[in-house]
Amino acid sequence: MKEDLRASFKAAYPIMLGYVAIGIPCGILSESIGLNAFQVFLLCLLFYSGAGQFMIPNMFLGGASTGSIIASVSLVNTRQMLYSASFAPFSANTSKGLAFLFAATVTDESYGVSIRKFEEEGWSVRRALFVNLFSQSSWTLSSVAGVFVGNAIDIPLEIAAFAMTSIFICLLFTQKLTSGNVIAAVLACLGVVICKLLGLSGAAILIGALFGVVGALLIGRVRRGEEADHGMV
Amino acid sequence: MGWFDFWVIFITCALTMLACRVLPLFLLKGRELPPAVIRALGLIPPAAFAALVTNDLFDPLMFKAGIWPAAAVLIAALCVIVVSIKFRSLVVSAIAGVVIYAILLALPL
Repeated sequence: MKEDLRASFKAAYPIMLGYVAIGIPCGILSESIGLNAFQVFLLCLLFYSGAGQFMIPNMFLGGASTGSIIASVSLVNTRQMLYSASFAPFSANTSKGLAFLFAATVTDESYGVSIRKFEEEGWSVRRALFVNLFSQSSWTLSSVAGVFVGNAIDIPLEIAAFAMTSIFICLLFTQKLTSGNVIAAVLACLGVVICKLLGLSGAAILIGALFGVVGALLIGRVRRGEEADHGMV
Repeated sequence: MGWFDFWVIFITCALTMLACRVLPLFLLKGRELPPAVIRALGLIPPAAFAALVTNDLFDPLMFKAGIWPAAAVLIAALCVIVVSIKFRSLVVSAIAGVVIYAILLALPL
């Protein structure tokens, strides 16, 4: 248990630091639309989505209706389905309760950290759950602190948010350099650009990533087919 | 935001989020998956990270206010790529990214 906690903390602390940097501004923004600490706490505990918790106040300030806020936020969060699916093979022998708690607390960042760790010896769903809970604690404490801080401090959000972008860049460029991975990444990139140019920014991440996965799968199939043909000659 | 709006948004978003997070894992967990599905699952990480990075860096209107400061984001991202490959560390990449981006934005351009 102690060993698990230590390994998980070591994996989670970059995420925890990043969540302090964007959690406080998220709390400040939430407070600015009249949410109190208890409401922010509930959102962090049961909704737990950085992107979503920024979108709700921003759309509300922009005068969006309740229905359109719900639709947009839910659409953006559909990308979580990909993470959930990709964890399935690693949870085969995990109890239902543990698998549920783990799956229910995955974010973009904790997905990135754990999916890499599962390649290593000794990593488990339990450790991955601890990574999620460490990250969630940091997010919750920082966001609630942001409510109390209010506008007393001024964190330039654009710069703080770049910590998360940097984490995604590091996760991307430390992937194994196989042709399938490169094709999937390039096509996903292209997919997001096309979606955004078409004005489909809400589902851009999900559609772009699916485009990358399916494209790489099809190209890989064609290439394997060609190799098989050569083999016959 | 009033309490009623809060509860409606909170409960609905929390439920759709939970469904997206939990259902795919439980639908696939413990099943004998065909090789194509296993290959597809293995391609999710590079595709998802590439999509997240592109989503953060690209905005169709980014150059509307001129080349700077939009170019600052891209230059900072290039620097983070180099740092990531060299150090292979999330925290080093995150700190380097924030520092480099802050410096670039502070430049009198």
